Order: sequence, then C-alpha cells, then structure tokens
Amino acid sequence: MRDWKAIAAAHELNLEGHDLDRAIQALTKLEEQFRPLLADLTPEIEPATRFDAAGSET
Amino acid sequence: MTIREAAAALRKKGLSAVDLATAAIARIERLDGSLRAFITVTAPYALQRARQADAELAAGNDRGTLHGIPIAVKDLFAMRGVRTTAGSKVFENFVPDANATVIDRLEKCGAVLLGKLNLHELAYGITSNNPFFGAVRNPWNVAHIPGGSSGGSGAAVAANMVYAAMGTDTGGSIRIPASFCGSVGLKPTYGRISRYGVMPLAYSLDHAGPLTRSVSDAAVMLNAMAGPDPLDDSSSRHPTVDYLPEDVPSIRGLRVGFPQNFFFERVDADVESAVRGACARAESLGAILKPVTVPDMAAISAIGRVILLAESSAYLEPYLNEPSRFGSDVWSLLQQGRLLPATDYVNAQRLRRRVREQFCELWQEVDCLFTPTTPNTAPHIGAQIVTLGGVEEDVRLATTRFVRGMNVLGLPALSIPCGLSGSGLPIGLQIIGPAFDEALILKVGAALEAGGVGIPPCQVST
Repeated sequence: MRDWKAIAAAHELNLEGHDLDRAIQALTKLEEQFRPLLADLTPEIEPATRFDAAGSET
Repeated sequence: MTIREAAAALRKKGLSAVDLATAAIARIERLDGSLRAFITVTAPYALQRARQADAELAAGNDRGTLHGIPIAVKDLFAMRGVRTTAGSKVFENFVPDANATVIDRLEKCGAVLLGKLNLHELAYGITSNNPFFGAVRNPWNVAHIPGGSSGGSGAAVAANMVYAAMGTDTGGSIRIPASFCGSVGLKPTYGRISRYGVMPLAYSLDHAGPLTRSVSDAAVMLNAMAGPDPLDDSSSRHPTVDYLPEDVPSIRGLRVGFPQNFFFERVDADVESAVRGACARAESLGAILKPVTVPDMAAISAIGRVILLAESSAYLEPYLNEPSRFGSDVWSLLQQGRLLPATDYVNAQRLRRRVREQFCELWQEVDCLFTPTTPNTAPHIGAQIVTLGGVEEDVRLATTRFVRGMNVLGLPALSIPCGLSGSGLPIGLQIIGPAFDEALILKVGAALEAGGVGIPPCQVST
C-alpha cells in the first residue's frame, strides 16, 4: 500500500490534522478496494476514453 | 398537477401560462425562505416568457406539451445573462454569454424558466448543505437533507414550486434527490442529453437529466432534450425515439432482474420492504421477476471513485490556490484527487471497459433491473454517519452505494417513488436498463405508477 501521508507531504497538500487524517483514511480504503482489481487487467484492454483524430464529432 | 395536466388546462383556455408562472413565483416566495431551493429566481424573465407563450398559443402556434410550463435548472447550467454559480464561491459572479444546449432546447419547446436551483457545492456531494448559498431542506421534513447534488431540483419539484427541474448526475446526483424528495429522476444513457454549457464535475461520468412529478413528465422532458449536439463531443448520435409511454403501458412478460447480491445488503428495513412491494406489484402486472447475480458492484463503485477524484481535481486545478473559496468537504475531495497517480486513472478507465462488458451480459437474461435507489432515507442535515444493518457508514458513501455504478457503466436509470418510511420520508425504486433504452425504463416506471406504486403528494413541512 502507498504511504499516502508521505505523498501528501510531497505534494504540499493543503490539509492539516484531522482533515488530513480523514483524507488519508479515505484514500487508503479506496486503494484497498481498487488495487486488487488491477490483477484482472490484460494488455489488450484499452481505456474507456475516446479521442477522435479526425475531429468528425465537432 | 403534472406537466401533462397543466398542458391540458392551458389548452382549455381556463388557465394561462402567466397564471402558472405567477402561481409558481408566489409559491417560491412563500416557501423558499425555508427550503432554500433557489439561488436565483428569474421572475421578470419568466413572466415575459409566459406572456409570449400565451400570445403564441392564442395565435395557434403550439410548441407542444412544455409550452408555457414553469421549470427551473440546477445552477450548473449556463443561462445567458444569468449568474451561474455551480453553488460555489469560485463562480459566484460568473455570468455566461450563451445558453446550455439543454436550455435552448427546452425554451424552443416553450418551457418557461423560473431560475437557477441550489445544489451541493460544485455538484460534488450528496447533502446539498451548501456553505455559501445555504442548506437546501427536504420539503417532506425540513430537518432532513433533500439529497444531492441536485438537491434544489428535488426540493423544488416535490414542493410544487416548478413542474420539472433539470439536474446532473455524476455519482447519483439526480436519482438521490429524486429518492429522498419523492420525485421521479431520470439519468439517461451517457451522451443521450447534451452537456454543452453544463459546468463539468467529471467529464466521463457527468450526465444531465430531469426531475419531475410523474414518469410521463420525465419522458416529455427527455423528448425535448435528447439527441446529438455538435457542440458536445460526448453527445451520442444513437437514434432517438418518442420516449412518452402509453397512459397504461403493459409490462406483461417483461423480465425484471432482482439482484440477489449487493443491492439488498445493509439496507434500511422500510426501504427493503417498499422496494419488494414494488417488485410484487410488477409481478402482479404480469412482469416475470428473475433473481440475478450482478457483477462486483463495490468494485465498479471503486473504479468510479478513482475516475471522479482524478477528473474533478484536474478540472478544478486552476482554482485550487485559494482554500477559502471551497467548503471543507469538497476541498478535502479535491486534495485527494491531486494525490492519485495518473496510472490509477488510466487503469480505472481500462477496468471500466471490462466491467461494462461483464455487466451487459445481464441483458441476455433480463430486460431491466429493479434495485433500491438508496439504502437509506434522507438523513438529518449535518449527519456524517448513517447506520445500516448495524454497520456505521459515511453518509456520502452509503447514499451513493447503489447509484454510482450506473455512472461508470453509463446505463440509463430511473428513480420513482415507491413508498414512505415509518417516519414519513420517501423511498425510491431504481429501474436500470440497457444503454439507450430509456423508452423501456420509462415504460416500466409508468406501468408501475399507473399500477399504484407511488406516494401521496408532498404536504410541505416548513
């Protein structure tokens, strides 16, 4: 698991004390849910985002 | 009265659009000091548009069901010349010089815009307890939140201030206030309604949609707005249809999926009972209830939260140098988004593609799904924690548990009122359908409504 407190310090996060603890707790819980999902990813799965090189949508 | 009833009354000459607008303005003046549903009321503009609507009708120029009907929009929709705040101090003085496409389309159909509705700051939360424009209150009990982020939209419709309101939904923000306020709320398929001129929260999760007092009114609104928009890259060219259901539609033989996992875990007993009651009614109307196992919705929700944190912080990055212009809850979320690595965001978008494929396999077995919209009824204003099934949960995470997944999947979802709790608060049933099949979920909702699923009109508690 990531050291969110260190990452927050490195980013000079504008949160202190209890607010910082709450934010880190939320990120830690989210990472616990999110991280195991990555094991299911295979290389052919592309992101569900779209870029239209021809710009034909506009 | 619903939109369709008001539209019929307008054409019988007994009532004018000016009468409707005047009555709505009077009701807003009477109730909004308590409910705080509006940020800006555009009364002179509405009366001018109503006079125009009456003149057009008298001249035989009928723009359809919305002609002369008072509505309002969440203060996230750009309205030319009218302050559009997003419920935020950052944008408190922003006055757009163009309309959102949705506003142009609604006005083209003759709708009369009464103003801009209060919301959770920047649409980033579910309480609508706005630190700058006041806490929106639930018309059923003003000690409770209306839900959010489209809280003003839910409250204004439930309190009969307007016939319909526009909301946006990034993680449940139309369906949650619909559920908590006893309104109908439709989140269409991603791309079905243009987002041009709607202030973003998370580009790939944002949807616009209506909150109304009946299912057919939601269809009337969708008919006015659906369709491609050259100004919105994300708008879809998928063909539109007439979304208005028959007055008493049949759902005989319809296969309704009833999830055996996730959607009935840690649910308030009154909510579960009301939703099971609606399912039983669907069965008595001829639907076939099929137990189904849905994919890992908690995982889908986690994917959605990663995308939301990253996209919202990216959009608002230029404004993050002044903490005093943000409420504490939104500030914390925006800071969290800054910490997520880009790899997490990209992988969340990859996982999204995968889970969409898994979820859509369900449509081989069933035509639609029934779930509770929220596991809880509206919490008290200021509550941070809700206890469900003996487990304490953060109010925001609990309330979005059953709705966020549909933003990740982009699927259409309708919330209709299906009962009241023991303490008299509304309960919502969520009807989920395949992509671009809004007509189906509206038909199912209308069938249930005609079959007696619903709640009495709100007697506003002030």
